Amino acid sequence: MLNKQVYDRLGETIYQTTLTNGLKVILMPKAGFHKTFAIMTTDYGSTDNEFVPRGQTEPIRFPDGIAHFLEHKLFEKKDHDAFDLFGQYGASANAFTSFTQTSYLFSTTSHLKENLDILLDFVQQPYFTAATVNKEKGIIGQEIQMYDDDPGWQSYFGMIGQLYPKEPLHIDIAGTVDTIDKITADDLYAAYNTFYQPSNMSLVVVGQLDPEETLDWVTANQDSKDFGPAEPIKRIPSPQATPADIVPAVTRHLSVTRPKVSIGIRGFNQVPRGRAGLAYSVALSLLFDLLFNDTSDNYLRLYDANVIDDSFGYDFQVQRGAQFAQLAGDTDDPETFISELTAILDDAPAQLKAAESQFELVKREAIGRIIGAINSVEAIANQYDGPLFAGATIFDELATLEGMQFTDLKDVTQTFLTNSQRTTYTILP
Amino acid sequence: MHFRIRDGVTLDLLPTKQFKTIGIKVDFVAPLQATAITARALLAQVLETSTAAYPTQTALARQLSRLYGASFGISVIKLGTKHVIRLTVSVVDEQYLDQFMDKTPLFEQGMALLRAVLFDPLLPQGNFDPATFTQQRQNLLTAIKSLDDDKQYLANRRLQELLFTGQPAQAMSALGDITTLGELSATAVLQTYHDMLANDAVHVAVIGDVTPERVQTALADWPLAERTVADPSLYYRWEKRDHVQQGDDLAPVVQAKLNLGYQLPVYRDDADFLPAVVFNAAFGGSPLSLLFTNVREKASLAYYASSGYSPFTGTLSVQAGIQAENQDRVVAIIGDQLRALQRGELSAELLAEVKAGLLNARLAGLDSPQRRLTGLLNSQLTHLNEPLKEWQESLAAVTVADVQRVAQKVTLQATYCLHGGAQHAE
Repeated sequence: MLNKQVYDRLGETIYQTTLTNGLKVILMPKAGFHKTFAIMTTDYGSTDNEFVPRGQTEPIRFPDGIAHFLEHKLFEKKDHDAFDLFGQYGASANAFTSFTQTSYLFSTTSHLKENLDILLDFVQQPYFTAATVNKEKGIIGQEIQMYDDDPGWQSYFGMIGQLYPKEPLHIDIAGTVDTIDKITADDLYAAYNTFYQPSNMSLVVVGQLDPEETLDWVTANQDSKDFGPAEPIKRIPSPQATPADIVPAVTRHLSVTRPKVSIGIRGFNQVPRGRAGLAYSVALSLLFDLLFNDTSDNYLRLYDANVIDDSFGYDFQVQRGAQFAQLAGDTDDPETFISELTAILDDAPAQLKAAESQFELVKREAIGRIIGAINSVEAIANQYDGPLFAGATIFDELATLEGMQFTDLKDVTQTFLTNSQRTTYTILP
Repeated sequence: MHFRIRDGVTLDLLPTKQFKTIGIKVDFVAPLQATAITARALLAQVLETSTAAYPTQTALARQLSRLYGASFGISVIKLGTKHVIRLTVSVVDEQYLDQFMDKTPLFEQGMALLRAVLFDPLLPQGNFDPATFTQQRQNLLTAIKSLDDDKQYLANRRLQELLFTGQPAQAMSALGDITTLGELSATAVLQTYHDMLANDAVHVAVIGDVTPERVQTALADWPLAERTVADPSLYYRWEKRDHVQQGDDLAPVVQAKLNLGYQLPVYRDDADFLPAVVFNAAFGGSPLSLLFTNVREKASLAYYASSGYSPFTGTLSVQAGIQAENQDRVVAIIGDQLRALQRGELSAELLAEVKAGLLNARLAGLDSPQRRLTGLLNSQLTHLNEPLKEWQESLAAVTVADVQRVAQKVTLQATYCLHGGAQHAE
């Protein structure tokens, strides 16, 4: 049965259900759209590298980069490649791996049923052999080297690595040329059987679709397969760094024209569970908007002093097992960049109070941005965070934002910043 | 809906209830001149920063926030023989807001903001504010230099320079060059500003749930005089060389960036245009293509290996990230794929797939307000506007022989490789 949620003011409706095999299905028709976007996600990413494989009893530490490797290899089958199956209908397909999730997606303007079957079948019918696994090592090796040459990527992931020196977040999502060399077909099956159970996955479909018909197609596909009973996933908790483990400042050299600085702030407090976690995350994003976005007094002062420029940006995010903020930009004077921005952070409660008159403005902007994002079927689907915030959708995020009060920001500022530790990651020419 | 506001100024309106926003785009189109590219890029940067009414970027940013996070930007684009300064604004359609108390709807406020940016910039003493001007010139300078940090971008820029040796307007990036930039004065950019307002062809376009009356009313007080717009060919035609330009540079990179440039003298108004698009998709323009299949999937030599086609400059380019010592092998495989298409070796299956992919991409583009707005410039400049149904029929009619004919027009003109040399090779 589809659970139907209508958003009258926005003229949108979202449908959700969980199939008997545990797969969560979220459907959202978009009137007037030509395209349908579907994304299937497992709650398994690069940081889940030690676990008890399904059907076994002992934990195993798998080679770094295995989740991403598995993502690449699911497309290839004994006698075909899933890309070609989508290609028959002109659909475009892709996949990506993050720290905590792996997603497979397609976008199409015709043959939705056929494309959904292709997606569900290629994700749910693995085929790994020594030959196909070895062939992929050259391709992924080049992917890793492409990112080695990308200073923006190095700056971002370098900063995260400093914040999480003991956790698997410090390891590149794709692994290294050496670790991927160790990956075997059996490893891929062990990871697959553990994390690709339907009960650990979701399917989100947005765009031109009829919800009842689409659900029938998905149900028929799933009913034709036997997944066995859902089994609990046993991840081995990773070592946890303490604030004292975080190195306050790291510098490295790369081929760049100007220094790149990334300031990372890791929260050691517990992120509230479920929807309260969403409210917490929205409030902290607004805090960073108030302190650092281009409507703030700080921004103009630092911009006019040539401390920051148009390359400056910031971001706060929560993922399973991690929450951190980043302030980053190119600057000729890394020391001043770091001292000015950290001074604002140190003074955050007073800075926040001084910016109170800007709160409604910043909130307006955030509301407008989310409503604008409802134009995009990809943005709607990608906004779905699965189990992270108890299945919250873009509409839950909008409602949370609309209900946000200035006092909510005061609370999270206190909780996050007093329990946080900072690092700076500087790339010099 | 197409309107001629006055000579040299047009308006297109795409009325639709499909989106939650109303999008506005204004293009100022001038002939592409090497001497003007840099000044126009800096003008765009300065206009984007402030206006008389919003004299700092913070004041302007706060106005955008007041308009519920309206997005606003000015960009510069090179298209064939034209240079375009493009202003875009997107505002939320207030019918989707919880509470909306403003007297003026957001579309009209967005148009007023564009009017302020274009016609009432910050000119305290009759010239650009010196502090703003100097700072933005410096910011553009560092932004141009920083682009080279992206080694794939850098390799492509070097390829364009090889391909268009002696043709500075084509060789140059749309942002201009740093030598000219360093010497630009506020007075010179002010002159560029007046030239733009007086002489450029102006194309305004709006998409969203608005009536023609609202758009025309909002435009009525824009002081855009009629102008005579010369309309020489949009297409950059060039003589191919009888030798291949070769280039390479050492840089501290782990992966070598290989770029190839070809002449493909099939332009947007050519009968072979659609076959050329199909050719590019089959050659390297899609994940099903021969380059992706043979360089990446079969030989495992690259993560990215793709091609791009410009129907305005008659060029085809190929890019791949590889191990430097594999360069000859990769170049050979790329050459093999081109020769296969030149011999007409294209399976019916792949032909059907790339056509289906192109149709899918065109239909999917209808769901993006930005793509629908920007797509309008092509039809305005080319005066070609093929309705979807006819385009679909022409696409379906493309044969292997058509693709073969196009492939035979492709000539390699330049190869470039940015690599780490021996010490970085593994």
